[in-house]
Order: sequence, then structure tokens, then C-alpha cells
Amino acid sequence: MTVRFVLTAFSAVLMLAACGEIGTEAPADGETLDAPLPGLTPEELAAFLKGDEQFGFAFSPVLGLGPIFNNVSCASCHSGDGRGRPENALTRFSRSATDPALDIGGPQLQDKALPGATPETLLAGVLTSLRLPPPVFGTGLIGAIPAASILANADPNDQDGDGISGRANMVVPAAFVPLDEPGGGSGPQLGRFSRKAQVTSLLQQITEAYHQDMGVTSDFLPVENVNPQVGTPTETADLAVDPELPLADLRAVVHYVRLLAPPAPGQDTPQRQLGEDLFAQIGCARCHIPVMQTGSNIIQALAFKPVPLYSDLLLHDMGDALADNRPDGQATGREWKTTPLWGLRLIRQFLNGQAFLLHDGSAGSVEEAIIRHGGEAQVARDAFVNLSADDRAALLDFVESR
Amino acid sequence: MSGVSRIVATGFVFLGGWATTLQSQEDTTEVDRPMVRGDMYDKPYLAQLAGRTAVGGYVEFHARYARVDGVKEEFTFLAKRFNLFFASQISDFIRFAAELEFEDAAEEINLEFAAVDFLIARALAFRAGVILVPLGKFNLSHDSPLNEFTDRPLVSTRVFGVTVWEPGIGALGIFPVGSAGRITYQIYAVNGFDDGLITESDGTRIPEGRRNFEDNNNSPSLVGRVAWSPRIGIELGASLHTGPYNVFQQDGQEIDQKRNLTIWVVDFEADFRGIRWEGEGGQANIDVPASLLGIYAERQQGFYFQGMWDFGRQWIRTMPKSFFSAGARVDVLDLDADISGDNVKQISLGFNFRPTGETVFKFNYVRGRARDRFNNPSDFADFLFSVATYF
Repeated sequence: MTVRFVLTAFSAVLMLAACGEIGTEAPADGETLDAPLPGLTPEELAAFLKGDEQFGFAFSPVLGLGPIFNNVSCASCHSGDGRGRPENALTRFSRSATDPALDIGGPQLQDKALPGATPETLLAGVLTSLRLPPPVFGTGLIGAIPAASILANADPNDQDGDGISGRANMVVPAAFVPLDEPGGGSGPQLGRFSRKAQVTSLLQQITEAYHQDMGVTSDFLPVENVNPQVGTPTETADLAVDPELPLADLRAVVHYVRLLAPPAPGQDTPQRQLGEDLFAQIGCARCHIPVMQTGSNIIQALAFKPVPLYSDLLLHDMGDALADNRPDGQATGREWKTTPLWGLRLIRQFLNGQAFLLHDGSAGSVEEAIIRHGGEAQVARDAFVNLSADDRAALLDFVESR
Repeated sequence: MSGVSRIVATGFVFLGGWATTLQSQEDTTEVDRPMVRGDMYDKPYLAQLAGRTAVGGYVEFHARYARVDGVKEEFTFLAKRFNLFFASQISDFIRFAAELEFEDAAEEINLEFAAVDFLIARALAFRAGVILVPLGKFNLSHDSPLNEFTDRPLVSTRVFGVTVWEPGIGALGIFPVGSAGRITYQIYAVNGFDDGLITESDGTRIPEGRRNFEDNNNSPSLVGRVAWSPRIGIELGASLHTGPYNVFQQDGQEIDQKRNLTIWVVDFEADFRGIRWEGEGGQANIDVPASLLGIYAERQQGFYFQGMWDFGRQWIRTMPKSFFSAGARVDVLDLDADISGDNVKQISLGFNFRPTGETVFKFNYVRGRARDRFNNPSDFADFLFSVATYF
């Protein structure tokens, strides 16, 4: 019995070793959403890894979470650095384009609170917009595209008469954004981040995410976010001394997100080649521009690189079906920034097989998302619907392989 | 007198009467068996208790290599534990035992146990001090030289909070059942868990609220275990720990809702066909503030189940007491039973060599899959070697 047992155990271990499973296997290059851009220096890579750790760090109340918040870490919303899901979508609210409803807790609903604090509620008469957390990879490349390149595709008055306008959302950066920070500067700058391109710099996006989403203060936003809907001072429920996030950690996360590589597209096949041709033919590529180019950059891994994002980063009227009817900066309630399509191939992998497409995660498939396009995309959408079944399948296969 | 105190006091009166009626039966049962195999009064060093006080302990060393999704996560050596035991038989009726733990090269120092027993009868003893609470058998008997695997069971450490020690007071005793069987019990009023299980973590983490040297809410918790053993080698136990964990009143004012933590555990051990089987499972139910639901779990649960087979006694002629053991353990842990993610499943394979019964060299391979709150899987593999010995 002893010999049989030992042989059986030994054989089992050998079988595991033979199939590479004994120590677990790493995913192949390009198959994750959290890989660094190629060509980083050791110093850049070290800072990247520090930021990676901080991105996944989950705050407890004693370490800064709250008093009012939405979630506990960056990674809690951006699954695997990809998209979120409806359960952790954020609700933005305001009264109008010029009134962010700060007096009642706008522009973001914090629906969680520590014991002793009260979560915010949506009051009557506000405009709301549900926003699914977007992927964070490739944002450094997006930030490195020269503004002139993006503005070159803008056609706000549709002078070329193709039915597609494309407007830039020019936004004044938050006061705390240093002038020399990418996206910083005096006066309106080109918005390129977030669903309506209402944010100009990654530093602002991330600092505000800590502050609004997690209730974590930093050197840039050192005062706690409070719930103005109640009389009890929200701060009394807070358990950590402000600022709760060291500047080094905040900077590391900005650096990390800036240097996240987009995943590699899937292999080309004849069907996908056909799909790519159709993508261009029916007009999808007019907004979902396949490739843009970065300019000069102090980080060599971001300098003069192709950016295969499938977006023009401009605002477009997407019609009634997708309208949230809530203006945001210069973006109207019918306008959305063209969503980049890169990484779509792996999105499901990090959402337990589900896609949760569109700004609110309400589309379960690429086909459904396309069909719900309207406004400036109506012609392309109709052309897609009128394709033969094989051609539609080819186009969908192409998009889902990005 | 709080509700818990009344229950404990009533229990003592009842048990005192029962104990008196049973004293005459004591001589007819085997009385040398410990309350719990491996507990504070079942250690090898106690054989040295010739005088008034004995000192002993155990030490544990780890070598760990761990991979997660193909990436090396850990390759390290750990001076894991150095624990000192003290026991003193002060009189026929009074005894004292203590355990002082130095964990991770003394990074953490805990007084795990320091309690006085007043032995009235076999069926009734009073205990007061810092006690290892009877929340599952593993919390009472978890010494590394006794454990067959390097790492402790997931459910025991991450849901039940092993090791859980608390200042408290209560009673314990043994009742004979038939010729070889018995029922044991332990029941205590203790400080209970505190708000740390919420405030010290990014989700409900019960271990963060344990080990309170004083009661945070002035409302003791109740913990108890009853075990039935029909004969040596077989035991079935059930435990409960319940009470409020948050500060709900202060200076006589109600400042919050009272929120309870209730943990129940069932455990078993059985020697069957040369294999020692044991396991433990249970569930924690946590009253979570409504404003934290969706992130903080209201229900956590899990179990472990293991079998070990000893062989090779006297294979090594120069070590006549030596033997080998081999076996496996299955761990299932669910840190949020209301969603599909946030769980861990793993299997541990173990091969041990014991030069004597008090020293063990453990070789473990652990393979498992953890799922985050999105239900995304992450595979891990641990290669562990450890040495542990009583002294």
C-alpha cells in the first residue's frame, strides 16, 4: 500500500509539472490589461510597480476610507485595470451645465458611508448620469497625442457635410493641477479623459477619484468630501488624519496609469480583414479612428508611438437612445466622447465573461451597443444593420478582436 | 446585570447542581483524557510538572515559495512562532496555565492564554483570565507541532479569527456518557469582537476585530462549545460566539444601532481505518451598517476537511519513535456568501516526517484558486517547508 501511495503521489506531481501547472502559469504577453509599456527604464519600471501596488491598495476606514465614498480601491472599480460593472457604476448629478449642485452633494453621488456618517441620496430635480468605470490602460498614450492632432479631426459645424461633427471639450483644469503637468495650463485645455472628455489631466482624474470615489484626501485635495444634505458634520465620522494619501503614492499611481500598455489586438484573419474593411466602409472609422500618433514626450516609451485606440477623442451627438440629458462642461446631454475600442478583446475576461458596454454598462454585446448608436452615428449604424449576416459577423469579429 | 451575565450566572447554578450529582460517577469513567486533545492542559512539557510550575513551549520555522498566476509572489524564510508555556498546579483545586506567543520573530507578541482554573468537580470548573475561546476545536488546539500542515486552515484563521483569545470568565466540565463516552462543555462571557472588523479593513474581516483586552461596548459576548465523544479518537463539537461588536452606546446615550456578530462552528475528528480525519466548518453572520452593504459582507463561511495517514514507524532504526505521515486537506473559504466572488478554494498535499511525536518536518504543496469580488479567478501555488517542535 505504501509503495502504491508513493507512486500515485509522485505520478500526480509529475503530471502537474508536465503540463506546467504545478507552479501556475503566467498569461502570455499582451493578454493582460495591466502590463507596462515596452521600453521603460528601470527607474520608470520601479515607479510603475509602486503605482501598481498602490492602485490595488484597498483603504480601510482607519487608513483613510470615507467618511462618504463609493468604493475602497482603484482596482475595486477597474477590474484588472479594465472596465467596471453596473454594481460599481458611479452616479453623476447636477442641475445644469453651470450648476454642479455642490450644495446638495454634486457632482457625484457617494452612496456609501462609514458608521457615524450619512450617505448621500439623490434629491428631486437633478439631472443624473450613470457612469461605468472605464478601462485605465493606454491613458498615457492618449495623453501624449498632441492636441493639434485631435483638434484636426474636429468639425463642429460639419463643414464637410458628412453628418459627423466632432467637437472638442475645452475644459479649465482644476486649480490644483500644476501648470507643467500634462493636461495642465492656464485657461481651457483639451479634455480627453472620462466619458465626456471633461478632464484634461490624469493627475486631476486620479486625485479626484481618490477624493470622490474613496473619500481619501491628498496634498492636492486635503479637505474631506462631505455630505451637505445632513446637519451632522461628515468629518466627525472620519478615522484618519488628513491628508490620507502620501504624495509619493498619488504620484506613483498617476505614473502607473500613464504607463499602462494597451493589450495587443488579436490575430488577423481573413474574416477580421473583411471586418476591418467594412468598419471603414460603413463609416465607423470616421469617429473610431483606428490609429493616432503621440508626439514628443519626456518619457521615451510614450514618444512618437502609434496609438491604436479606435477613437478620435471628440464629442459626438449619439442620439436619443444614448443621451443622458445631463450636460457636462461643454458636452451636451446627447454628446459622448468616442469610446476607444482597444482592449475589447479582453474586457470579458476580467468581468467574469460579461461585457457591460456603453457608458452605463447596459449593452451586453458589441452588436447591441452598435444598434443603440444614433445621432451622428445613425448612418453608420443603419449601414451595419443592413449588412448581410456574414458581413455583420465579420465586422463584429473584427471589433471584438481589438 | 446584562442579559449575557444572567445567562452565564443561571448556567453556573444549574451546572453546579448537576456536577454535585455526578461526582459519585467520576471514578467509573476514564478521567485521564484531556478536555480537548492538544489543549492547554495536554502538552508534552507537562510531563515535567514535578514541582509547582513547569515551563515549555514550541518553536516553528517556515521556508515559503509562492507563485500567483505564474509570477513569484514570495520566496522567504520566516521565524514564524516561538511560544512559551507555563503551567502551575497551585493546589488540588487551583491550577494556572499561560501561553506567551512571539510571532514573526517577535514582531507580534501576544499573551494567548493566562487563566486560573478552580476545579470544583470533574463536571464543573471555573476559569477566569485570558482564555482561548472555544470557537471550534482548532482554536483550542492549534500548536504547530501538532498540526499536520504548515498553514492553518483558511476558514479557521480568516472567518473564525484563529487564534482568538479574550479575557473572560466562565465554566467548563466533563460529563461521562456510557462506559467510554463523554460530553464536554465550555461556556464563557468574554469581551467579544470590536468595530475593527469593519474599520480596520476594506471589507468585513473578523480577525481585525478580535483580541480585545477590554470590552469596547460594555456588553460582553457569549461563547461556548459542547462536544460529544463516544470513545477515544472520535469527537463531534459545536460552538457559538455571539454578541454585539460595535459601540452603540456611550455615556448612557444610544449613538448607534446595536450590531451583532454571531459565529457558529461545527468540528469533528475521527480515527478510522488508520487515517486520522478532522474538519471544521461554520458561518459568521455580521450585522453590517446599511451604508456599507455591497462592499462589506454580511455572511462569511467555509470549511476544511483533512485526512492524514501515518506510516513507516521504525523504518529508521536509529530513531525508533520516528514515523512519516501523508495526507491532504481541502479548504473552502467564502468571504462574502451573498455574491459569487470573494472566495478561495485550495487543496494542500502534505508529507511529514516526525523523528519523535513532538517534532515534525512538513513538506506541503498547496494549489488553489482565489476569486476577487468581480469573480475573476487567480491561481496560486505554494511550496512550503516547515519545522516545528515542542520543547
